[in-house]
Amino acid sequence: MTSHSMSYLRHLRSFCCFLSWPTILVIGICAGWASTPSVFAGPKPQPDLNEGRAAYQRSCARCHGADGAGDGVDAKRFYPRPRDLSYGTYKFRTTASGTPPTDEDIFKVLTQGLPGSNMPDWAHMDEEERWQLVYYMKSLSTIFDEVPPDPVELSEDPGPEKADLTAGRQVYEQMGCAACHGDQGRANGLSAALLTDEWEMPIRPANLTQGWNYRGGQDPVSVMMRFMTGIDGSGMPAYKGAITDEEAWNLAYYVVSLQKAPHWHRIAHAAEAARGSLPENVDDPAWESAERTDIRLRNVVTQDGEWARAPTTNLISLEMLYNDEEAALRITWTDPTEDRSASGDALALLLKPEAVKGDAVSLQTWPYQGAPGLDIYFWSAHSGQAQEGIGENFDSVRDRKVSVAPRPSAAQYHDGEWQMVIRRPLRASGVPAIEPDKLLSVAFAVWDGGNENARAVTPWFDVALKPIGPSAPNGH
Amino acid sequence: MTQRRLRSSLAVAVIAMIGCGGSAPQDTDATVQTEQAAAKPVQLAQALSAAIPAAVSAGAGVTGVVKFSGAAPEQRKVKMGADPICQQQHAEPVDEESVVVNGNGTLKNVFVYVKEGVAGSHAAPASPVSLDQAGCKYTPHVAGIQAGQALEIINSDATLHNVNAKPTINRPFNIAQPVKGMKTDKVFTEPEIMVRFKCNVHPWMSAYLGVVDHPFFAVTGEDGSFAIPALPDGSYVLEAWHETYGTQTQSVIVAGGAASSVQFSFSSQ
Repeated sequence: MTSHSMSYLRHLRSFCCFLSWPTILVIGICAGWASTPSVFAGPKPQPDLNEGRAAYQRSCARCHGADGAGDGVDAKRFYPRPRDLSYGTYKFRTTASGTPPTDEDIFKVLTQGLPGSNMPDWAHMDEEERWQLVYYMKSLSTIFDEVPPDPVELSEDPGPEKADLTAGRQVYEQMGCAACHGDQGRANGLSAALLTDEWEMPIRPANLTQGWNYRGGQDPVSVMMRFMTGIDGSGMPAYKGAITDEEAWNLAYYVVSLQKAPHWHRIAHAAEAARGSLPENVDDPAWESAERTDIRLRNVVTQDGEWARAPTTNLISLEMLYNDEEAALRITWTDPTEDRSASGDALALLLKPEAVKGDAVSLQTWPYQGAPGLDIYFWSAHSGQAQEGIGENFDSVRDRKVSVAPRPSAAQYHDGEWQMVIRRPLRASGVPAIEPDKLLSVAFAVWDGGNENARAVTPWFDVALKPIGPSAPNGH
Repeated sequence: MTQRRLRSSLAVAVIAMIGCGGSAPQDTDATVQTEQAAAKPVQLAQALSAAIPAAVSAGAGVTGVVKFSGAAPEQRKVKMGADPICQQQHAEPVDEESVVVNGNGTLKNVFVYVKEGVAGSHAAPASPVSLDQAGCKYTPHVAGIQAGQALEIINSDATLHNVNAKPTINRPFNIAQPVKGMKTDKVFTEPEIMVRFKCNVHPWMSAYLGVVDHPFFAVTGEDGSFAIPALPDGSYVLEAWHETYGTQTQSVIVAGGAASSVQFSFSSQ
């Protein structure tokens, strides 16, 4: 392509001529961008819609549809659903609410993806191809001909040292963030369950403690930009005009301070309990010495091919302590509402019996006709009791006589999270045991009573009392 | 302090909006359909206007009433439990407003406007139309405004409202008004029937704004009547819009100094 041979300067000049002066001003002023690495290095090539269309059909149409209407073959399985590119509403912009994104905004989303959604990053794709995709995507909606982008200027990033988190907390309260995002940002505000998007589909606010799940980026500049421009189509309004830049920066840093770093371990390890004493309750200080492993929960796709509902629970964490006889497991999972009714909140710990080998039994598809039975430890908030047994599906286990009486469990709900402690034997006694020097495959299923009919499950993962074999456990 | 700060930034926002609003909207399916639906009345009006010599005068305008027949649907109560600040403002539950049948058998919140026949251009008034968020409902629920006229959006509640305007011809926006007393001016530059407003935080809140390029419109109130005074002599097509029952059109001739009388009738059947 000729653009590779053209000089950068020539491109820059034509690029600048193309822009209105406020845009240039913003690019000049917006030092905030400097704190996130620039997503493109070379000059923008000349548009070639044929090239863009071909790239689109290769890489995008499967989800976004042949004509960009968001109706590709995989679209129904996804939440959030793939964007309808012909509609002209873009969520992640550096431009005022109601105006289209800049080319660079679209390029950035292509390059970085949308964390926590099914939109992957396309950083491996040739940079020119990405630009041609940007041009082609713009050709799918008339908005780009009708309305110019209206870039939002950010004042200089004060940086973490100068940002005032206490003031940021006050802004969080004054601006009504808690109405949707909850007092501590756990996506459990009073309006959280009532939200609908532009297409009148249920939508959930971001859990602000999960930086890894911020679609538009978890750094302070990205958070600030989401706040000032809003997330068009989602319900999140633009606060530009309602707040000073200083207030907004303090808020952005406060929101970032709510993020908890995730611990993605391939194997969940236990720590030896001090003095051999295992904690009974969720708030025992002994848990501080345990290593936390986070596992993502995903809603099971229902028979009609769509997500049952907007997912409300998306993360479960496991911590383990052990002594000579038993392991204690502290399990923590997100749930915006406490529901102790008969169809309320529940948890299942699934263990692969010895006879079941390999990864064939995905909980996304289990139970299915002829599926192998799994060892299911089932707890419901309604009864406060747990049962365990082999089941070919979840329903049969609920009615099954308990094969091994579990230890009394301690479960607590607090501010958007369930926590409970369960005990497991270290040696086989009719149920799968977490044996020393062995891996045990486990998985979780979670029911949120506030999200009827939705079941969220994890993949299978391994637990071990301590590092096994020559290789150390993987890090993050 | 917040207010003053707000004012200055809003002025910038409004200027920016006017500056960006000049592009002509594309023809949409919606506008095409509306024109087709109105084809018959327009022909009738043209026939009538051909029969009566047009005389442009001050005109006596149009008055009328929007009747309602059939069983009035039960008005549901709004559940404001999601926000205690909303709930505290109402001793009794608030009625939902998608259908409000008045005691005299008429329909409230119908937007009536002259759809066809207005001649000349009509400058937008300098005074704004107000859209107030008070008690976690929009007041008024239905309103009319001229294209280019300022819409002053007010938050009278001590809680966060987001003002999510969902036009299809004009520019949509979704702005936050987190503090009591905040005011934001917005301008819709193109005629559009209707622009819907919603608040995501309080999903029971909705309002509808009819944007027209002349001053000849009205909204029915507690007695179902409407008046469009000072409509010059001529032949026109009136349209009545209701959020649940849709639209109706009628031809009307204004002539001879007395207000022409029009009756619309919506039915639950």
